Amino acid sequence: MSGKVQTSAATLAGDLGAGNRSGGREGRSFWGAIAASQFYQAFSNALLSSPRRQFAILLAFPVLWVLTQHLGPMLQMFYVSFVDAYPVSRGYQNEFTLDNYARFFGSAIFIMPFFRTLAFAATLTLATLILTYPVAYFLARHVKRSNQMVFLLLLLIPFWVGEIVRTYAIMILLGNNGAVNLALKWLGLIDRPIPFMYTGFSLSVGIIYLSALYMLLPLYSALEKLPRSYTEAAADLGAGPWTRFWKVTLPLSLEGISSGATLVFLISTGYYATPVLLGGPSTTVFAETIAGFFHTAGDEWPTGAAFACLMFVTALAISLAFGRLMTRLQKGVRK
Amino acid sequence: MTRHTRLVMSMIYWAFVLYIFVPLILMITMGFKDSKFIGFPIRSWTLDWYVEVFKDVEVLSAFGYSMLIGVSSTLISLAVGIWIAVLLNGRGFVGKGLIYGLTLLPALIPGIISAISFRIYAQLWGIPPGTGAIIWCHAVHNVPFVVLIVAARLSTLPKSHLDAARDLGADPIIAFMRITLPYLRPALIGGGVFCMLISFDDFVRSFFLGGYQPTLPVLIFAKLRSGMSPEINAIATVVLVLTGLLGIWAERTTRRMKQGKLQS
Repeated sequence: MSGKVQTSAATLAGDLGAGNRSGGREGRSFWGAIAASQFYQAFSNALLSSPRRQFAILLAFPVLWVLTQHLGPMLQMFYVSFVDAYPVSRGYQNEFTLDNYARFFGSAIFIMPFFRTLAFAATLTLATLILTYPVAYFLARHVKRSNQMVFLLLLLIPFWVGEIVRTYAIMILLGNNGAVNLALKWLGLIDRPIPFMYTGFSLSVGIIYLSALYMLLPLYSALEKLPRSYTEAAADLGAGPWTRFWKVTLPLSLEGISSGATLVFLISTGYYATPVLLGGPSTTVFAETIAGFFHTAGDEWPTGAAFACLMFVTALAISLAFGRLMTRLQKGVRK
Repeated sequence: MTRHTRLVMSMIYWAFVLYIFVPLILMITMGFKDSKFIGFPIRSWTLDWYVEVFKDVEVLSAFGYSMLIGVSSTLISLAVGIWIAVLLNGRGFVGKGLIYGLTLLPALIPGIISAISFRIYAQLWGIPPGTGAIIWCHAVHNVPFVVLIVAARLSTLPKSHLDAARDLGADPIIAFMRITLPYLRPALIGGGVFCMLISFDDFVRSFFLGGYQPTLPVLIFAKLRSGMSPEINAIATVVLVLTGLLGIWAERTTRRMKQGKLQS
Protein backbone atom coordinates (compact mmCIF):
# COMPACT_ATOMS: atom_id res chain seq x y z
CA MET A 1 0.00 0.00 0.00
CA SER A 2 2.63 2.50 1.03
CA GLY A 3 4.76 1.52 -1.96
CA LYS A 4 1.83 2.24 -4.24
CA VAL A 5 1.30 5.64 -2.69
CA GLN A 6 4.96 6.42 -3.10
CA THR A 7 5.02 5.56 -6.77
CA SER A 8 1.92 7.58 -7.53
CA ALA A 9 3.37 10.48 -5.55
CA ALA A 10 6.55 10.19 -7.57
CA THR A 11 4.67 10.28 -10.88
CA LEU A 12 2.70 13.24 -9.65
CA ALA A 13 5.87 15.03 -8.64
CA GLY A 14 7.10 14.55 -12.17
CA ASP A 15 3.81 15.71 -13.65
CA LEU A 16 3.36 18.72 -11.47
CA GLY A 17 6.94 19.87 -11.32
CA ALA A 18 8.24 19.68 -14.85
CA GLY A 19 5.23 19.37 -17.08
CA ASN A 20 7.18 19.37 -20.33
CA ARG A 21 9.41 16.49 -19.27
CA SER A 22 6.91 13.67 -19.60
CA GLY A 23 6.53 13.52 -23.36
CA GLY A 24 4.56 16.69 -24.14
CA ARG A 25 1.03 15.58 -23.20
CA GLU A 26 -0.80 18.82 -23.69
CA GLY A 27 -2.35 20.73 -20.81
CA ARG A 28 0.28 19.95 -18.24
CA SER A 29 2.58 22.86 -18.74
CA PHE A 30 -0.47 25.01 -19.32
CA TRP A 31 -1.72 24.52 -15.77
CA GLY A 32 1.79 24.81 -14.46
CA ALA A 33 2.11 28.21 -16.13
CA ILE A 34 -1.27 29.30 -14.78
CA ALA A 35 -0.31 28.28 -11.26
CA ALA A 36 2.96 30.18 -11.51
CA SER A 37 1.46 33.38 -12.88
CA GLN A 38 1.30 36.33 -10.55
CA PHE A 39 -2.30 37.02 -11.28
CA TYR A 40 -3.35 33.52 -10.33
CA GLN A 41 -1.24 33.57 -7.18
CA ALA A 42 -2.92 36.75 -6.03
CA PHE A 43 -6.29 35.21 -6.77
CA SER A 44 -5.38 32.02 -4.95
CA ASN A 45 -4.02 33.85 -1.91
CA ALA A 46 -7.10 35.98 -1.65
CA LEU A 47 -9.69 33.22 -2.08
CA LEU A 48 -8.12 29.97 -0.96
CA SER A 49 -6.05 31.15 1.99
CA SER A 50 -7.63 28.89 4.61
CA PRO A 51 -9.34 25.47 4.42
CA ARG A 52 -12.44 27.05 5.87
CA ARG A 53 -12.58 29.61 3.09
CA GLN A 54 -11.98 26.92 0.48
CA PHE A 55 -14.85 24.89 1.82
CA ALA A 56 -17.14 27.91 1.93
CA ILE A 57 -16.48 28.52 -1.77
CA LEU A 58 -17.01 24.86 -2.59
CA LEU A 59 -20.28 24.87 -0.65
CA ALA A 60 -21.77 28.19 -1.72
CA PHE A 61 -22.55 27.47 -5.37
CA PRO A 62 -24.21 24.05 -4.98
CA VAL A 63 -26.38 25.28 -2.11
CA LEU A 64 -27.41 28.31 -4.13
CA TRP A 65 -28.06 26.16 -7.21
CA VAL A 66 -30.23 23.49 -5.58
CA LEU A 67 -32.23 26.08 -3.67
CA THR A 68 -32.90 28.38 -6.60
CA GLN A 69 -33.01 25.86 -9.46
CA HIS A 70 -34.21 22.61 -7.96
CA LEU A 71 -36.46 23.79 -5.15
CA GLY A 72 -37.31 27.25 -6.51
CA PRO A 73 -39.62 26.21 -9.36
CA MET A 74 -41.62 23.94 -7.06
CA LEU A 75 -41.96 26.64 -4.39
CA GLN A 76 -42.99 29.23 -6.94
CA MET A 77 -45.59 26.83 -8.37
CA PHE A 78 -46.87 26.25 -4.84
CA TYR A 79 -47.12 29.99 -4.27
CA VAL A 80 -48.88 30.62 -7.57
CA SER A 81 -51.46 27.95 -6.72
CA PHE A 82 -52.69 30.20 -3.89
CA VAL A 83 -53.14 33.47 -5.79
CA ASP A 84 -56.01 34.67 -7.91
CA ALA A 85 -54.05 35.87 -10.94
CA TYR A 86 -50.69 35.00 -12.45
CA PRO A 87 -48.83 36.38 -14.34
CA VAL A 88 -50.16 39.63 -12.93
CA SER A 89 -51.04 42.48 -15.22
CA ARG A 90 -49.45 45.85 -14.49
CA GLY A 91 -50.75 47.62 -11.41
CA TYR A 92 -52.78 44.67 -10.16
CA GLN A 93 -52.03 43.27 -6.74
CA ASN A 94 -52.87 39.59 -6.64
CA GLU A 95 -54.64 38.20 -3.63
CA PHE A 96 -54.49 35.03 -1.60
CA THR A 97 -57.22 32.57 -2.47
CA LEU A 98 -58.17 28.92 -2.10
CA ASP A 99 -60.47 28.99 -5.13
CA ASN A 100 -57.97 27.13 -7.31
CA TYR A 101 -58.14 24.12 -5.06
CA ALA A 102 -61.88 24.48 -4.51
CA ARG A 103 -62.32 24.35 -8.28
CA PHE A 104 -60.82 20.88 -8.36
CA PHE A 105 -63.15 19.43 -5.75
CA GLY A 106 -66.16 21.10 -7.33
CA SER A 107 -66.19 19.25 -10.61
CA ALA A 108 -66.18 15.64 -11.77
CA ILE A 109 -64.43 16.74 -14.99
CA PHE A 110 -61.33 17.26 -12.87
CA ILE A 111 -61.75 14.60 -10.17
CA MET A 112 -62.26 11.77 -12.66
CA PRO A 113 -58.98 12.20 -14.57
CA PHE A 114 -57.17 12.64 -11.26
CA PHE A 115 -58.21 9.29 -9.85
CA ARG A 116 -58.00 7.68 -13.27
CA THR A 117 -54.36 8.75 -13.49
CA LEU A 118 -53.52 7.38 -10.04
CA ALA A 119 -55.34 4.09 -10.64
CA PHE A 120 -53.74 3.83 -14.08
CA ALA A 121 -50.26 4.51 -12.74
CA ALA A 122 -50.68 2.00 -9.92
CA THR A 123 -52.02 -0.74 -12.22
CA LEU A 124 -49.33 -0.16 -14.79
CA THR A 125 -46.64 -0.22 -12.12
CA LEU A 126 -47.87 -3.62 -10.98
CA ALA A 127 -48.12 -4.86 -14.57
CA THR A 128 -44.61 -3.64 -15.34
CA LEU A 129 -43.31 -5.37 -12.22
CA ILE A 130 -44.89 -8.70 -13.16
CA LEU A 131 -43.67 -8.37 -16.74
CA THR A 132 -40.07 -7.40 -15.99
CA TYR A 133 -39.38 -9.49 -12.88
CA PRO A 134 -38.78 -12.74 -14.79
CA VAL A 135 -36.65 -10.86 -17.30
CA ALA A 136 -34.50 -9.33 -14.56
CA TYR A 137 -34.32 -12.68 -12.79
CA PHE A 138 -33.21 -14.45 -15.94
CA LEU A 139 -30.56 -11.81 -16.61
CA ALA A 140 -29.18 -11.81 -13.09
CA ARG A 141 -29.29 -15.50 -12.30
CA HIS A 142 -29.25 -17.51 -15.52
CA VAL A 143 -27.03 -15.56 -17.88
CA LYS A 144 -23.29 -15.96 -17.53
CA ARG A 145 -21.80 -12.93 -15.83
CA SER A 146 -19.59 -12.09 -18.80
CA ASN A 147 -22.64 -12.06 -21.09
CA GLN A 148 -24.93 -10.12 -18.80
CA MET A 149 -23.94 -6.70 -20.12
CA VAL A 150 -24.60 -7.74 -23.71
CA PHE A 151 -28.03 -9.12 -22.84
CA LEU A 152 -28.82 -5.97 -20.87
CA LEU A 153 -27.52 -3.66 -23.58
CA LEU A 154 -29.82 -5.34 -26.07
CA LEU A 155 -32.75 -4.12 -23.97
CA LEU A 156 -31.21 -0.70 -23.32
CA ILE A 157 -30.72 0.42 -26.93
CA PRO A 158 -34.41 1.06 -27.71
CA PHE A 159 -34.74 3.03 -24.50
CA TRP A 160 -32.33 5.64 -25.76
CA VAL A 161 -34.99 6.60 -28.29
CA GLY A 162 -37.35 9.27 -27.08
CA GLU A 163 -40.93 9.23 -25.88
CA ILE A 164 -42.43 10.51 -29.13
CA VAL A 165 -40.70 8.03 -31.44
CA ARG A 166 -41.58 5.05 -29.27
CA THR A 167 -45.18 6.23 -28.91
CA TYR A 168 -45.37 6.44 -32.68
CA ALA A 169 -44.05 2.89 -32.94
CA ILE A 170 -46.92 1.72 -30.73
CA MET A 171 -49.39 3.60 -32.96
CA ILE A 172 -48.15 1.61 -35.95
CA LEU A 173 -48.32 -1.64 -34.01
CA LEU A 174 -51.89 -1.21 -32.79
CA GLY A 175 -53.57 0.83 -35.53
CA ASN A 176 -56.56 -0.47 -37.48
CA ASN A 177 -54.16 -1.35 -40.27
CA GLY A 178 -51.47 -2.13 -37.76
CA ALA A 179 -49.37 -5.23 -37.43
CA VAL A 180 -51.46 -6.86 -34.69
CA ASN A 181 -54.72 -6.51 -36.57
CA LEU A 182 -53.09 -7.71 -39.76
CA ALA A 183 -51.71 -10.78 -38.01
CA LEU A 184 -55.08 -11.59 -36.41
CA LYS A 185 -56.85 -11.20 -39.74
CA TRP A 186 -54.29 -13.38 -41.47
CA LEU A 187 -54.79 -16.06 -38.85
CA GLY A 188 -58.51 -15.87 -39.54
CA LEU A 189 -59.40 -14.90 -35.98
CA ILE A 190 -61.15 -11.66 -36.90
CA ASP A 191 -62.99 -10.26 -39.92
CA ARG A 192 -62.76 -6.57 -39.23
CA PRO A 193 -59.97 -4.85 -37.29
CA ILE A 194 -60.26 -4.53 -33.53
CA PRO A 195 -60.09 -0.83 -32.58
CA PHE A 196 -57.17 -0.99 -30.14
CA MET A 197 -56.16 2.62 -30.61
CA TYR A 198 -57.41 5.53 -28.48
CA THR A 199 -58.41 3.22 -25.63
CA GLY A 200 -57.08 2.40 -22.20
CA PHE A 201 -55.47 -0.65 -23.74
CA SER A 202 -53.32 1.20 -26.27
CA LEU A 203 -52.35 3.75 -23.62
CA SER A 204 -51.32 0.96 -21.22
CA VAL A 205 -49.22 -0.79 -23.85
CA GLY A 206 -47.57 2.52 -24.63
CA ILE A 207 -46.78 3.48 -21.05
CA ILE A 208 -45.46 0.04 -20.12
CA TYR A 209 -43.35 0.19 -23.26
CA LEU A 210 -41.92 3.53 -22.18
CA SER A 211 -41.26 2.81 -18.52
CA ALA A 212 -40.29 -0.89 -18.36
CA LEU A 213 -36.61 0.00 -18.14
CA TYR A 214 -37.05 2.01 -14.94
CA MET A 215 -38.36 -1.16 -13.33
CA LEU A 216 -35.95 -3.56 -14.98
CA LEU A 217 -32.70 -1.88 -13.92
CA PRO A 218 -33.34 -1.64 -10.13
CA LEU A 219 -34.71 -5.20 -10.14
CA TYR A 220 -31.67 -6.45 -12.00
CA SER A 221 -29.20 -4.78 -9.65
CA ALA A 222 -31.05 -6.10 -6.57
CA LEU A 223 -31.17 -9.65 -7.93
CA GLU A 224 -27.59 -9.54 -9.13
CA LYS A 225 -26.39 -8.75 -5.59
CA LEU A 226 -28.28 -11.72 -4.13
CA PRO A 227 -25.76 -14.52 -3.47
CA ARG A 228 -26.58 -17.79 -5.19
CA SER A 229 -25.58 -19.67 -2.05
CA TYR A 230 -28.79 -18.47 -0.35
CA THR A 231 -31.11 -20.27 -2.73
CA GLU A 232 -28.76 -23.25 -2.83
CA ALA A 233 -28.86 -23.45 0.96
CA ALA A 234 -32.67 -23.29 0.86
CA ALA A 235 -32.68 -26.08 -1.72
CA ASP A 236 -30.39 -28.20 0.48
CA LEU A 237 -32.82 -27.72 3.34
CA GLY A 238 -35.54 -29.17 1.15
CA ALA A 239 -37.33 -26.08 -0.16
CA GLY A 240 -38.99 -26.49 -3.58
CA PRO A 241 -38.68 -23.87 -6.34
CA TRP A 242 -41.80 -21.98 -5.26
CA THR A 243 -40.86 -21.92 -1.60
CA ARG A 244 -37.39 -20.74 -2.55
CA PHE A 245 -38.88 -17.95 -4.59
CA TRP A 246 -41.43 -16.81 -2.00
CA LYS A 247 -39.21 -17.21 1.05
CA VAL A 248 -35.78 -16.25 -0.25
CA THR A 249 -35.58 -14.53 -3.62
CA LEU A 250 -38.65 -12.30 -3.47
CA PRO A 251 -38.12 -10.96 0.10
CA LEU A 252 -34.47 -10.21 -0.66
CA SER A 253 -35.30 -8.32 -3.85
CA LEU A 254 -37.80 -6.02 -2.10
CA GLU A 255 -35.33 -3.15 -2.27
CA GLY A 256 -35.25 -3.33 -6.06
CA ILE A 257 -39.02 -3.67 -6.26
CA SER A 258 -39.43 -0.65 -4.02
CA SER A 259 -37.20 1.71 -5.99
CA GLY A 260 -38.38 0.41 -9.37
CA ALA A 261 -42.04 0.77 -8.46
CA THR A 262 -41.54 4.27 -7.07
CA LEU A 263 -39.78 5.39 -10.24
CA VAL A 264 -42.32 3.89 -12.61
CA PHE A 265 -45.24 5.23 -10.60
CA LEU A 266 -43.93 8.79 -10.45
CA ILE A 267 -42.81 8.82 -14.06
CA SER A 268 -46.03 7.37 -15.44
CA THR A 269 -48.15 10.04 -13.75
CA GLY A 270 -46.17 12.63 -15.70
CA TYR A 271 -46.56 11.46 -19.30
CA TYR A 272 -48.24 14.01 -21.47
CA ALA A 273 -47.57 13.30 -25.15
CA THR A 274 -48.31 9.57 -24.91
CA PRO A 275 -51.86 9.97 -23.55
CA VAL A 276 -52.52 12.68 -26.13
CA LEU A 277 -51.41 10.44 -28.99
CA LEU A 278 -52.52 7.00 -27.81
CA GLY A 279 -55.49 7.79 -25.59
CA GLY A 280 -59.03 8.88 -26.40
CA PRO A 281 -61.77 10.91 -24.75
CA SER A 282 -62.47 8.14 -22.25
CA THR A 283 -58.84 7.98 -21.07
CA THR A 284 -58.11 11.66 -20.36
CA VAL A 285 -55.34 11.73 -17.77
CA PHE A 286 -54.60 14.49 -15.31
CA ALA A 287 -51.51 15.62 -17.20
CA GLU A 288 -53.79 16.65 -20.06
CA THR A 289 -56.09 18.47 -17.63
CA ILE A 290 -53.15 20.39 -16.16
CA ALA A 291 -51.72 21.17 -19.60
CA GLY A 292 -55.10 22.57 -20.67
CA PHE A 293 -54.71 25.50 -18.27
CA PHE A 294 -51.42 26.49 -19.82
CA HIS A 295 -52.50 26.53 -23.44
CA THR A 296 -54.95 29.32 -22.87
CA ALA A 297 -54.40 32.84 -21.62
CA GLY A 298 -52.41 33.43 -18.44
CA ASP A 299 -55.29 33.84 -16.04
CA GLU A 300 -55.75 30.07 -15.81
CA TRP A 301 -52.23 29.43 -14.59
CA PRO A 302 -52.98 29.47 -10.85
CA THR A 303 -55.58 26.73 -11.33
CA GLY A 304 -53.08 24.68 -13.34
CA ALA A 305 -50.47 25.20 -10.64
CA ALA A 306 -52.91 24.12 -7.92
CA PHE A 307 -53.79 20.98 -9.88
CA ALA A 308 -50.12 20.17 -10.44
CA CYS A 309 -49.44 20.59 -6.71
CA LEU A 310 -52.33 18.26 -5.87
CA MET A 311 -51.02 15.67 -8.30
CA PHE A 312 -47.43 15.89 -7.11
CA VAL A 313 -48.24 15.82 -3.40
CA THR A 314 -50.60 12.86 -3.81
CA ALA A 315 -48.19 10.88 -6.00
CA LEU A 316 -45.31 11.61 -3.62
CA ALA A 317 -47.39 10.64 -0.57
CA ILE A 318 -48.37 7.34 -2.20
CA SER A 319 -44.73 6.62 -3.14
CA LEU A 320 -43.51 7.43 0.37
CA ALA A 321 -46.19 5.28 1.99
CA PHE A 322 -45.30 2.47 -0.37
CA GLY A 323 -41.60 2.89 0.35
CA ARG A 324 -42.28 2.74 4.09
CA LEU A 325 -44.33 -0.41 3.69
CA MET A 326 -41.48 -1.98 1.76
CA THR A 327 -38.90 -1.04 4.41
CA ARG A 328 -41.14 -2.52 7.06
CA LEU A 329 -41.45 -5.73 5.05
CA GLN A 330 -37.68 -5.80 4.59
CA LYS A 331 -37.12 -5.41 8.32
CA GLY A 332 -39.51 -8.28 8.89
CA VAL A 333 -37.35 -10.35 6.54
CA ARG A 334 -34.13 -9.51 8.34
CA LYS A 335 -35.42 -10.58 11.78
CA MET B 1 -33.05 -24.39 -10.78
CA THR B 2 -34.06 -27.12 -13.12
CA ARG B 3 -33.42 -27.06 -16.82
CA HIS B 4 -37.14 -26.69 -17.38
CA THR B 5 -37.51 -23.37 -15.51
CA ARG B 6 -34.37 -22.10 -17.18
CA LEU B 7 -35.94 -22.70 -20.57
CA VAL B 8 -39.16 -20.94 -19.57
CA MET B 9 -37.20 -17.99 -18.20
CA SER B 10 -35.14 -17.60 -21.35
CA MET B 11 -38.32 -17.72 -23.42
CA ILE B 12 -39.77 -14.91 -21.31
CA TYR B 13 -36.59 -12.91 -21.86
CA TRP B 14 -36.72 -13.32 -25.62
CA ALA B 15 -40.44 -12.55 -25.66
CA PHE B 16 -39.59 -9.31 -23.84
CA VAL B 17 -36.88 -8.53 -26.37
CA LEU B 18 -39.48 -9.02 -29.12
CA TYR B 19 -41.92 -6.71 -27.31
CA ILE B 20 -39.22 -4.05 -27.15
CA PHE B 21 -37.99 -4.44 -30.71
CA VAL B 22 -41.01 -5.38 -32.85
CA PRO B 23 -42.73 -1.98 -32.69
CA LEU B 24 -39.50 -0.24 -33.66
CA ILE B 25 -38.77 -2.68 -36.48
CA LEU B 26 -42.29 -2.24 -37.84
CA MET B 27 -41.85 1.50 -37.70
CA ILE B 28 -38.57 1.31 -39.59
CA THR B 29 -40.08 -0.99 -42.21
CA MET B 30 -42.99 1.39 -42.77
CA GLY B 31 -40.55 4.16 -43.66
CA PHE B 32 -39.73 2.27 -46.86
CA LYS B 33 -43.33 1.88 -47.99
CA ASP B 34 -44.16 3.32 -51.39
CA SER B 35 -47.49 4.87 -50.46
CA LYS B 36 -48.74 7.78 -48.44
CA PHE B 37 -51.02 5.48 -46.49
CA ILE B 38 -49.67 4.06 -43.22
CA GLY B 39 -50.59 0.44 -42.63
CA PHE B 40 -49.94 -3.10 -43.69
CA PRO B 41 -49.50 -4.87 -46.05
CA ILE B 42 -46.60 -3.21 -47.86
CA ARG B 43 -46.70 -3.93 -51.60
CA SER B 44 -43.88 -1.84 -53.02
CA TRP B 45 -40.80 -0.26 -51.52
CA THR B 46 -39.02 3.07 -51.90
CA LEU B 47 -36.27 5.25 -50.47
CA ASP B 48 -38.09 8.45 -51.41
CA TRP B 49 -39.13 9.27 -47.86
CA TYR B 50 -35.52 9.44 -46.79
CA VAL B 51 -34.66 11.72 -49.70
CA GLU B 52 -37.64 13.81 -48.64
CA VAL B 53 -36.33 14.08 -45.06
CA PHE B 54 -32.93 15.34 -46.12
CA LYS B 55 -34.58 17.93 -48.38
CA ASP B 56 -37.09 19.09 -45.75
CA VAL B 57 -35.74 22.38 -44.38
CA GLU B 58 -38.18 22.33 -41.48
CA VAL B 59 -36.92 18.92 -40.29
CA LEU B 60 -33.26 19.80 -40.78
CA SER B 61 -33.53 23.06 -38.88
CA ALA B 62 -35.46 21.34 -36.06
CA PHE B 63 -32.69 18.76 -35.91
CA GLY B 64 -30.01 21.44 -35.69
CA TYR B 65 -32.04 23.31 -33.09
CA SER B 66 -32.36 20.18 -30.94
CA MET B 67 -28.62 19.58 -31.25
CA LEU B 68 -27.87 23.15 -30.18
CA ILE B 69 -30.12 22.80 -27.14
CA GLY B 70 -28.69 19.39 -26.30
CA VAL B 71 -25.06 20.49 -26.44
CA SER B 72 -25.57 23.76 -24.54
CA SER B 73 -27.68 22.24 -21.78
CA THR B 74 -25.26 19.32 -21.42
CA LEU B 75 -22.30 21.66 -20.91
CA ILE B 76 -24.16 23.50 -18.16
CA SER B 77 -25.30 20.26 -16.50
CA LEU B 78 -21.75 18.90 -16.55
CA ALA B 79 -20.23 21.99 -14.96
CA VAL B 80 -22.85 22.20 -12.22
CA GLY B 81 -23.00 18.44 -11.72
CA ILE B 82 -19.25 18.10 -11.23
CA TRP B 83 -19.24 20.88 -8.67
CA ILE B 84 -22.08 19.31 -6.66
CA ALA B 85 -20.53 15.85 -6.92
CA VAL B 86 -17.19 17.11 -5.59
CA LEU B 87 -18.98 18.75 -2.66
CA LEU B 88 -21.06 15.67 -1.84
CA ASN B 89 -18.06 13.39 -2.16
CA GLY B 90 -16.01 15.45 0.29
CA ARG B 91 -16.19 15.87 4.04
CA GLY B 92 -19.44 15.79 5.98
CA PHE B 93 -21.31 18.94 6.97
CA VAL B 94 -24.63 19.87 8.50
CA GLY B 95 -27.37 19.51 5.92
CA LYS B 96 -25.44 17.29 3.54
CA GLY B 97 -28.32 14.82 3.36
CA LEU B 98 -30.70 17.64 2.53
CA ILE B 99 -28.47 18.93 -0.26
CA TYR B 100 -28.23 15.40 -1.63
CA GLY B 101 -32.00 15.00 -1.58
CA LEU B 102 -32.55 18.36 -3.26
CA THR B 103 -29.95 17.48 -5.87
CA LEU B 104 -31.94 14.42 -6.91
CA LEU B 105 -35.31 16.20 -6.82
CA PRO B 106 -35.56 17.17 -10.54
CA ALA B 107 -35.14 13.53 -11.56
CA LEU B 108 -38.16 12.51 -9.48
CA ILE B 109 -40.66 15.18 -10.49
CA PRO B 110 -43.12 13.83 -13.09
CA GLY B 111 -42.51 15.34 -16.55
CA ILE B 112 -45.60 17.49 -16.89
CA ILE B 113 -45.23 18.99 -13.41
CA SER B 114 -41.57 19.75 -14.01
CA ALA B 115 -42.43 21.43 -17.32
CA ILE B 116 -45.14 23.70 -15.98
CA SER B 117 -43.27 24.59 -12.80
CA PHE B 118 -40.46 25.81 -15.03
CA ARG B 119 -42.92 27.67 -17.22
CA ILE B 120 -44.11 29.55 -14.13
CA TYR B 121 -40.58 30.03 -12.81
CA ALA B 122 -39.37 31.39 -16.14
CA GLN B 123 -42.16 33.97 -15.94
CA LEU B 124 -40.92 35.00 -12.48
CA TRP B 125 -37.43 35.66 -13.81
CA GLY B 126 -38.72 37.30 -16.94
CA ILE B 127 -37.27 34.66 -19.25
CA PRO B 128 -39.40 34.50 -22.40
CA PRO B 129 -40.31 31.06 -23.80
CA GLY B 130 -37.73 30.00 -26.34
CA THR B 131 -34.19 28.75 -26.72
CA GLY B 132 -32.83 30.11 -23.43
CA ALA B 133 -35.72 28.77 -21.39
CA ILE B 134 -35.47 25.27 -22.92
CA ILE B 135 -31.69 25.06 -22.44
CA TRP B 136 -32.04 26.19 -18.84
CA CYS B 137 -34.83 23.72 -18.02
CA HIS B 138 -33.01 20.79 -19.68
CA ALA B 139 -29.80 21.70 -17.86
CA VAL B 140 -31.49 21.69 -14.45
CA HIS B 141 -33.33 18.46 -15.19
CA ASN B 142 -30.10 16.67 -16.14
CA VAL B 143 -27.96 17.77 -13.19
CA PRO B 144 -29.00 14.82 -10.93
CA PHE B 145 -27.85 12.28 -13.54
CA VAL B 146 -24.45 13.95 -13.90
CA VAL B 147 -24.04 14.07 -10.12
CA LEU B 148 -24.83 10.36 -9.75
CA ILE B 149 -22.46 9.27 -12.53
CA VAL B 150 -19.62 11.62 -11.54
CA ALA B 151 -19.93 10.82 -7.82
CA ALA B 152 -19.67 7.11 -8.60
CA ARG B 153 -16.40 7.69 -10.45
CA LEU B 154 -15.12 10.18 -7.90
CA SER B 155 -15.50 7.72 -5.04
CA THR B 156 -12.90 5.48 -6.73
CA LEU B 157 -10.27 8.25 -6.97
CA PRO B 158 -7.52 7.35 -4.47
CA LYS B 159 -7.24 10.11 -1.89
CA SER B 160 -3.46 9.80 -1.99
CA HIS B 161 -3.41 11.35 -5.49
CA LEU B 162 -4.92 14.59 -4.28
CA ASP B 163 -2.85 14.56 -1.08
CA ALA B 164 0.31 14.16 -3.11
CA ALA B 165 -0.67 17.05 -5.37
CA ARG B 166 -1.33 19.23 -2.34
CA ASP B 167 1.99 18.27 -0.77
CA LEU B 168 3.69 19.32 -3.96
CA GLY B 169 2.21 22.76 -3.64
CA ALA B 170 -0.89 22.65 -5.83
CA ASP B 171 -3.83 24.59 -4.46
CA PRO B 172 -7.31 22.96 -4.60
CA ILE B 173 -8.18 24.44 -7.99
CA ILE B 174 -4.95 23.36 -9.66
CA ALA B 175 -5.22 19.92 -8.03
CA PHE B 176 -8.79 19.63 -9.31
CA MET B 177 -7.82 20.64 -12.84
CA ARG B 178 -4.78 18.37 -13.07
CA ILE B 179 -5.82 15.34 -11.01
CA THR B 180 -9.58 15.12 -10.54
CA LEU B 181 -10.81 16.34 -13.91
CA PRO B 182 -8.62 14.01 -16.03
CA TYR B 183 -9.60 11.13 -13.79
CA LEU B 184 -13.30 11.92 -14.33
CA ARG B 185 -13.02 11.82 -18.13
CA PRO B 186 -14.91 8.55 -18.75
CA ALA B 187 -17.69 9.61 -16.38
CA LEU B 188 -17.94 12.93 -18.18
CA ILE B 189 -18.22 11.24 -21.57
CA GLY B 190 -20.84 8.79 -20.31
CA GLY B 191 -22.78 11.40 -18.36
CA GLY B 192 -22.51 13.95 -21.15
CA VAL B 193 -23.91 11.62 -23.80
CA PHE B 194 -26.65 10.57 -21.41
CA CYS B 195 -27.65 14.21 -20.92
CA MET B 196 -27.46 14.86 -24.66
CA LEU B 197 -29.84 11.98 -25.34
CA ILE B 198 -32.33 12.99 -22.64
CA SER B 199 -32.31 16.56 -23.88
CA PHE B 200 -32.55 15.58 -27.54
CA ASP B 201 -35.48 13.24 -26.86
CA ASP B 202 -37.32 15.47 -24.44
CA PHE B 203 -40.76 16.50 -25.52
CA VAL B 204 -42.77 17.84 -22.63
CA ARG B 205 -40.28 20.47 -21.39
CA SER B 206 -39.49 21.72 -24.89
CA PHE B 207 -43.22 21.84 -25.65
CA PHE B 208 -44.14 24.05 -22.70
CA LEU B 209 -41.04 26.24 -22.69
CA GLY B 210 -40.54 26.54 -26.43
CA GLY B 211 -41.19 29.55 -28.60
CA TYR B 212 -42.13 29.42 -32.26
CA GLN B 213 -39.22 27.27 -33.36
CA PRO B 214 -39.92 23.57 -32.68
CA THR B 215 -37.36 21.06 -31.46
CA LEU B 216 -37.36 17.78 -33.38
CA PRO B 217 -39.66 15.86 -30.96
CA VAL B 218 -42.06 18.82 -30.89
CA LEU B 219 -42.06 18.89 -34.70
CA ILE B 220 -42.73 15.14 -34.92
CA PHE B 221 -45.55 15.54 -32.39
CA ALA B 222 -47.11 18.32 -34.44
CA LYS B 223 -46.82 16.24 -37.63
CA LEU B 224 -48.37 13.22 -35.87
CA ARG B 225 -51.35 15.25 -34.72
CA SER B 226 -52.07 16.25 -38.29
CA GLY B 227 -51.83 12.65 -39.52
CA MET B 228 -49.39 9.79 -39.91
CA SER B 229 -47.08 9.70 -42.90
CA PRO B 230 -44.11 7.54 -43.94
CA GLU B 231 -41.99 10.66 -43.78
CA ILE B 232 -42.37 10.62 -39.99
CA ASN B 233 -41.15 7.03 -40.04
CA ALA B 234 -38.08 8.07 -41.95
CA ILE B 235 -37.36 10.93 -39.51
CA ALA B 236 -37.93 8.64 -36.53
CA THR B 237 -35.65 5.99 -38.02
CA VAL B 238 -32.81 8.46 -38.51
CA VAL B 239 -33.26 9.64 -34.91
CA LEU B 240 -33.37 6.05 -33.69
CA VAL B 241 -30.15 5.06 -35.44
CA LEU B 242 -28.28 8.15 -34.26
CA THR B 243 -29.39 7.95 -30.63
CA GLY B 244 -28.86 4.19 -30.56
CA LEU B 245 -25.27 4.50 -31.76
CA LEU B 246 -24.50 7.34 -29.37
CA GLY B 247 -26.07 5.42 -26.49
CA ILE B 248 -24.03 2.28 -27.21
CA TRP B 249 -20.84 4.31 -27.39
CA ALA B 250 -21.53 6.01 -24.04
CA GLU B 251 -22.55 2.72 -22.45
CA ARG B 252 -19.28 1.14 -23.54
CA THR B 253 -17.30 4.05 -22.16
CA THR B 254 -18.97 3.92 -18.76
CA ARG B 255 -18.69 0.13 -18.64
CA ARG B 256 -14.99 0.28 -19.35
CA MET B 257 -14.72 2.86 -16.61
CA LYS B 258 -16.35 0.43 -14.17
CA GLN B 259 -13.89 -2.27 -15.16
CA GLY B 260 -11.08 0.21 -14.55
CA LYS B 261 -9.64 0.03 -18.07
CA LEU B 262 -9.75 3.76 -18.54
CA GLN B 263 -7.53 4.84 -15.69
CA SER B 264 -5.88 8.10 -16.43
